[in-house]
Amino acid sequence: MVEGVGSEEAQRADGAARQRGGEPAVVIGGGPAGLTAAYELARRGLPAVVYEKDDIVGGISRTVERDGYRFDIGGHRFFTKITEVEALWHELLGDDLIERPRLSRIFYRGKFFDYPLRPVDALLKLGPVEAVRIVLSYLYVRLTPRGEERSFEQWVVNRFGRRLFEVFFESYTEKVWGIPCSEISSDWAAQRIKNLDLMAAIRNALLGSGGGRGGKEKGEIVTTLIDRFQYPRLGPGMMWERCAERCAELGAPTHLRREVVRLRHDGGRVNEVDVRRHDGVDGGEGDGGGEVETIACSSVVSTMPVPGLLRALDPPPPDEVLAAAAKLRFRDFLTVVVVVDREHLFPDNWIYIHAPEVRVGRIQNFKNWSPEMVPDASRTSLGLEYFVQEGDELWSAGDDELGALAARELAWLGLAEEDDVVGHYVVRMPKAYPVYDRDYEQALAVARRHLEGIGNLHPIGRNGQHRYNNQDHSMLTGMLAARNILREAESASGSSATGGAAGPAHDLWAATEDDSYLEAPERGSRSLADRAVPRRLEEDDLAAGDERLEQAIAAAFARYDPVALGGAVGVIAGALVFLLTAVLLLRGDEPLGPNLSLLGHYLIGFQVSWPGALIGALEAALLGFGFGWLLARTINLLVDLAAESVVRECELEGLLDPFDLSRLED
Amino acid sequence: MTRQREEIILRRAVARLRAAVMAVTFGATGGAALFLATAWLLLRGGENVGQHLGLLRNYLPGYSVTWGGAVLGLAYGVVLGGIAGASLAWTYNRIADLRGAATTRG
Ligand SMILES: Cc1cc2nc3c(=O)[nH]c(=O)nc-3n(C[C@H](O)[C@H](O)[C@H](O)COP(=O)(O)OP(=O)(O)OC[C@H]3O[C@@H](n4cnc5c(N)ncnc54)[C@H](O)[C@@H]3O)c2cc1C
Repeated sequence: MVEGVGSEEAQRADGAARQRGGEPAVVIGGGPAGLTAAYELARRGLPAVVYEKDDIVGGISRTVERDGYRFDIGGHRFFTKITEVEALWHELLGDDLIERPRLSRIFYRGKFFDYPLRPVDALLKLGPVEAVRIVLSYLYVRLTPRGEERSFEQWVVNRFGRRLFEVFFESYTEKVWGIPCSEISSDWAAQRIKNLDLMAAIRNALLGSGGGRGGKEKGEIVTTLIDRFQYPRLGPGMMWERCAERCAELGAPTHLRREVVRLRHDGGRVNEVDVRRHDGVDGGEGDGGGEVETIACSSVVSTMPVPGLLRALDPPPPDEVLAAAAKLRFRDFLTVVVVVDREHLFPDNWIYIHAPEVRVGRIQNFKNWSPEMVPDASRTSLGLEYFVQEGDELWSAGDDELGALAARELAWLGLAEEDDVVGHYVVRMPKAYPVYDRDYEQALAVARRHLEGIGNLHPIGRNGQHRYNNQDHSMLTGMLAARNILREAESASGSSATGGAAGPAHDLWAATEDDSYLEAPERGSRSLADRAVPRRLEEDDLAAGDERLEQAIAAAFARYDPVALGGAVGVIAGALVFLLTAVLLLRGDEPLGPNLSLLGHYLIGFQVSWPGALIGALEAALLGFGFGWLLARTINLLVDLAAESVVRECELEGLLDPFDLSRLED
Repeated sequence: MTRQREEIILRRAVARLRAAVMAVTFGATGGAALFLATAWLLLRGGENVGQHLGLLRNYLPGYSVTWGGAVLGLAYGVVLGGIAGASLAWTYNRIADLRGAATTRG
């Protein structure tokens, strides 16, 4: 377990850090990004210390434990395409990282729909009337596409038809974001599917998710159609507890209930940070705060939210920077975990709740993530997830009130009896989602420019870079930040004290902006050492096998050239008619080809004569051309429809789960 | 690979016909068709068996609507079908190449 400041272990570790000389690197936040950075620094012998304002490590990837029930904030699948991240998970968790099957479905109108949505399944379950409405509205938009796509609603309707939008998108998206779909910018939808790996999707459609190079040996192929995932036996928090323990052993302690409230800098470097103790009952910010300690530092790795970081700078940034920071918004998250006195409720890991009649957005069944998440196998713990805004009426509601609401909604949905609910726990997670609204990009650019002016300050991670990401990406930024610090240390000492492990400088924000930094998992994972500058992975990384497979896929979806096929059929048909006629003419039998001349019924002017042969050949060539052309067009249409259905399916998949980044960001 | 690039690759891909595959396909189909057409008439029997199909002997020396002719027809079908298939593929590919070159230059 991670120890606090006063503990013997932490003190020993602190001492060790100081002994190695120099001020420590201060890491703000004991979530995945911060702990990964600390671990990387510590194992290369650089002093580091982590301050975490909560009383638990793991950040959003924590595992909360109440009365033996363990639960995540959401549910955290472990999957990545980054070799080092995968290696670190295995190094720290070993056999405790288990592989789990994935099942998640959409619950709507009392029925479970396959997720990813499969058109036939959906249409069958919605019933004939609804199915016809969906198909008709789809055909309508396909035939009369609208030009304007400013809002998310317009974007989806244009692609899938209004009815499908109403059934599967509208209520869920509005629950998630808390604003009408007509007010959500279409950029968000485009952003969600921008990295969609078309080849991977088609490969999956053709070969199933095990297809392609490596198959199962190389771990799961991280595709949009993933059906298994890794998960620590005791939840994601297990990973971060282990990591914090290892850091402490290596001399980088984690101090809980310590909030960094001020970063004192001289314009170019942060020299000290002020840390406030929160040793009250609650820990965290809410307990009023205790004494403040000033810590000298050599550098700072920050995972605290960008606006908070800017406000904590001393001297403060100019007003326009603070104003920009204030525009960065977050969506908050609340989980009500109810304990149901039933051994088995449903087989899914989680269920999406689209029904507009209830407020719950998603329901996790933690036992299906790992059986060890419940202390008593005869009971089931369900996490009902509500997407909220800090301070709104749900956020402010009392725990009992929320427990009652959750039980009521479960019963309404028919997933459990209200009377079977025997307990509840509530966890509120502020700033769970950085919001990508119309203003965020510009505001973030202003904030970033200012932060880049402070050389030894390294903002990383999800809220640290206002990046809507997964653990692995946060960890990547942590690793890169550590390498930059090592590099600084090496150049300051003029030696390669750390064994030259740092490599060239890494642009932390580039890893955030350039999606290809993390792209193309199954085409060979990248080693961090290669990541001097972000570059597109596909150029040189396509393994030969995959390249061939992709060529084959491209060939399978290739279009026939209608003119070429028409031409070829025409030439063959014309030549055939000419040859058949010529043979009879050359043999000179009497009467001349009474049967062949019947072709004259179809080829006007055709006779078994030399001029007839020419006319017939010409006409046959024209007809052949028409036939070949039509054939090519028809095949192309069918190929287009097949390709389009794969693309649409992927787009659907990416859009249906606005918070499930694995589906697209991988 | 970016999605855009993938789409471009997919949309630009022009199918090619493989001469060998087309030859085998057309040959097998042609041979089987002629054999079956002959066999069918023979099995049905009756007067004047294969009056019309027999006219093929004008083009296929030695062919007749008999069991021996059926086997010979099979061989003819394979050879001529093969030639037709290969020619079709060859012609298609040449035209597609010419058109491709013209598009790239354009
Ligand atoms: C519902 C949900 C489901 C998710 N599912 C998955 C999933 O399946 N797989 C996956 O890989 N990822 C998932 N994620 C994303 C994952 O949780 C994050 O990417 C990851 O936790 C980010 O790590 P981080 O260290 O960057 O930030 P955080 O986890 O936010 O950690 C930051 C830490 O810094 C601390 N802190 C902040 N300010 C201060 C301060 N001033 N002083 C001291 N400490 C401070 C915070 O208390 C926190 O502990 C999910 C996220 C959500 C919300």
